Amino acid sequence: MKDKTLNNFKLGIFVLAGLLFLIVLLYMIGKNRNMFGFNYVIKARFENVQGLKTGNNVRFAGIDIGTVSNISMINDTIMEVEMSIDHKVKNIIRTNAIASIGTDGLVGNKVVNIISLKKSAPLAKNNDILNTKKPIDTDEMLRTFYKTNNDISIIAQQLKITMAKINDSNKLWEVINNKDFANNLKSSANQIKNASSHLNELTTQANNIVKEVNEGKGTLGLILKDTAFSKSISNSMKSINNIAIKANELSVQLKEIMEEINHDIKNGDGIANKILKDSQIVNKINNALTNIENGTNGFNQNMEALKHNFLFRGYFKKLEKQNAKKQ
Amino acid sequence: MSQAILLKSFFEETGKTFRFILRFLLQWFKPRYEVAEFFRQCYVIGYKSLPLIGLTGFIMGLVLTMQLRPTMIEYGVESQIPIIVAISIVREIGPVITALIFAGKIGSSIGAELGSMKVTEQIDAMEVSGTNPFKYLVVSRVMATTLMLPILALLSDAISLYGAYLGVNIKGDTSFTLFWTQIFDSLSFNDVLPAFIKTYFFGFAVGIIGCYKGYNSNKGTEGVGKSANSAVVLSSILIFILDLLAVQITDLLGFN
Repeated sequence: MKDKTLNNFKLGIFVLAGLLFLIVLLYMIGKNRNMFGFNYVIKARFENVQGLKTGNNVRFAGIDIGTVSNISMINDTIMEVEMSIDHKVKNIIRTNAIASIGTDGLVGNKVVNIISLKKSAPLAKNNDILNTKKPIDTDEMLRTFYKTNNDISIIAQQLKITMAKINDSNKLWEVINNKDFANNLKSSANQIKNASSHLNELTTQANNIVKEVNEGKGTLGLILKDTAFSKSISNSMKSINNIAIKANELSVQLKEIMEEINHDIKNGDGIANKILKDSQIVNKINNALTNIENGTNGFNQNMEALKHNFLFRGYFKKLEKQNAKKQ
Repeated sequence: MSQAILLKSFFEETGKTFRFILRFLLQWFKPRYEVAEFFRQCYVIGYKSLPLIGLTGFIMGLVLTMQLRPTMIEYGVESQIPIIVAISIVREIGPVITALIFAGKIGSSIGAELGSMKVTEQIDAMEVSGTNPFKYLVVSRVMATTLMLPILALLSDAISLYGAYLGVNIKGDTSFTLFWTQIFDSLSFNDVLPAFIKTYFFGFAVGIIGCYKGYNSNKGTEGVGKSANSAVVLSSILIFILDLLAVQITDLLGFN
């Protein structure tokens, strides 16, 4: 009898252990499906639920907060997804949160992601409908991929042709294979390097000059920066200006004189007019000049007669001899 | 000619088996229940089988995990090992392996026990003494196997999952909490309940076949061995056929 009781006791433990495991298993699964505990319902309307099923997870900021409890068709373009949400997040989800359908990983189960916005809004209550965002459509993605792929294929083909042309071009290969070219390129590069270093020095110097000028050193600096110098230049300029004014006055006076002379000439007054306009004076001058010519001729004859005179012959011979000696 | 006889004997055997099942059901409903004998059989069939089934379950979980590991690493889903192991254990390996081991241990013992009782005419003696031998021997045993196998399968699942946890931690590093969370996140009622329900049918099949073969044992010691042997073979085959049916039905009902 005692043995029998012990056996029954062991059997009881065995059966209860098995049933306990079953209950734990079912409870854990049920807990993950939000079948126990206090939940509330939030709805979202989509155009396309993309294979979302009841039981899929609902995530808020990456944390599982509930499951999809029902999916129903409102009409031909609106699908309503009911989500059973844990009451613990009741004070977190707001009415302006956005629901979107995503995938857990690249090929995983579908999930509903609820994203909160930074703007404040009242808290979502039971049966509130959230805004939705159009999900990334895999079909559309693939279509875009297809297009991109085609483009890439065309580009690759053209690239292939280009490469073939390059390969066929002997000139280009000559250039590439030519060692001198490489050396030249190298030396050019070196020269460019030198030139650039010189340029660098030059710019440094230019920089220094500019700096000095800025600091008021040197002539240029003096010119540009020294206020006293600029004042004296200013004075000089003033004097030049005065001179110019005076010259102007002079020229005005000269002009007046000239105008007067002109006036005299036109009206026949003054000496200049008589010289230029009076024909009698011209004749008289002409006569005077003829008389002078005649006088000089007479003088020439007198001088020739004087040479042949015995009193002066010796002197003229002496002159001739001296001239001959010089030659 | 011999094929025709074989076919004829096969159908005859099937018919007899179903008649036996019908007899069991009729006797099961009728009062005068052998409660004490039922509990004794539960203890012998259920509790005494636990060490064997626990050991096989533990080894299955451990080995399955270690076998899966290289392939899973190749696919880059090492982190999914607990999920795959848990689903395969809970859905298929736990119930079927447990039922097969159970058939090997209990099916043969029932077949041999009833066979030897039949051969030594103890069953006839029981009838004479006023006890219903069918109720006392068959109903209590079949009820015990039907109710004990699901519990054994559940415990085997638990032990297998622990073995899998150890298997994961031989080369990887997964905390028990993570393992636990991963398993219960991935499992659903569709995994657990059909698997749990089909173990009742497995248990019933093992019990009823063992009893039928023993109860209809031929004369002589040879008959006892034969009935024990055929009880194990037939119940193992039936377990697989029932498993096939179970997956078809759950698929049909949309629970798969």
